[in-house]
Amino acid sequence: MMLIYQLAALFLMLNIVAGMARVLRGPTTADRLLAVQLFGTTGTAILILFSLQTGNKAFQDLALIFALLAGILGVTFTRYGQAWYKQGATDPESTKVAAKEK
Amino acid sequence: MILLGLDLLLVIVLLISAWFALTTADLLHGVVIFIAFGLLVALAWVRLQAPDVAMAEAAVGSGLTGALLLSSLSAMRRAQARAEASKKEGDVG
Amino acid sequence: MNWNDIATTLLIIAGSFFFLAGTVGLLRLPDVFTRLHALTKADNLGLGLIALGAAFQIDNLMQLVKLGLIWGLVMFASATIAHLIGRSALEQGQQPWEKAS
Repeated sequence: MMLIYQLAALFLMLNIVAGMARVLRGPTTADRLLAVQLFGTTGTAILILFSLQTGNKAFQDLALIFALLAGILGVTFTRYGQAWYKQGATDPESTKVAAKEK
Repeated sequence: MILLGLDLLLVIVLLISAWFALTTADLLHGVVIFIAFGLLVALAWVRLQAPDVAMAEAAVGSGLTGALLLSSLSAMRRAQARAEASKKEGDVG
Repeated sequence: MNWNDIATTLLIIAGSFFFLAGTVGLLRLPDVFTRLHALTKADNLGLGLIALGAAFQIDNLMQLVKLGLIWGLVMFASATIAHLIGRSALEQGQQPWEKAS
C-alpha cells in the first residue's frame, strides 16, 4: 500500500510541475490564478496521501488549511487585482490577446 | 526512492518559482507566483516532517502575506493616481 | 491485500486520472473560460475520489468527518472562485474563444 501512496503522490507532484508552466506563461492574471488553484487542490490531495502513508493526523489538518486558503486567495485576488487594473494601466497581455482575436 | 524523486521535483519547482517571483516585471504576476511559492514551501515543510511549521507557512507565508502584498499594490496604485491628478491640476493652475 | 486496500487503490488511481485530465486541460485548452471549466470540475472530482479512497483506510469517525469537510470546502471554494474568475476575466475584456471556421 505504501508504494501506491508514494506513486500517487509523485504523480500529483508531476501535475504541479506541469501547472508551473501555466503560472509562468500566463497569458493573463486569471490563468495564473487558476494554476495556483490547481496547486491548492493538488497539494490537498498530496497531503491526504501523506497522512495515509505516515499515519500522521496533523497532515489532514494541513489539508483542511490548504482547502480553505484556496478560496480566500481567489476572492482576495479578484477583488484587489480588479482594482489594480481598473485604475490606470491596462493589462498589456490581455489587451494583446483581445486584439489578436479581433 | 520514489520519495526522493518527489523531493527533487519539489526542489526544482521551488527554485523556479522563487526565481520568477523575484524577476517578473509585472508586480501582480510576481505576487501570484509568490503565493504559489508559499504553498510549495508548505509542502516542503511537510516533507521535512514538520506539519506545525507547514501550517504557519501556509496560513501566514502564503495567505496573509499574499493578501498584504495585494492590498499594498492597490494602495500604491491609488497613491500614483492621486499624484498624477495633483500634477495635472498644477499644470492648469 | 484485503478488499479495503483494493478499493483504496482503485479509487486513488481513478482520482489521479481526473487530476491528469485537469492538468492537461489547463495546459492545452485555448482560453480562460475553457480552462476554468476543465480545472474546477475535474480536479474536484479527483480530490473527492482520493478522499473517498482514504476513507477506506480510516476507522475513526472524526477523521472521516474531516475528510468529508475537506472535500466539501474545496467544492464550495472552487465553485465560488470559478464564478469570480470568470466574471473578472469578462470585465477585463477577455473574449470567449470561438472555433476558427
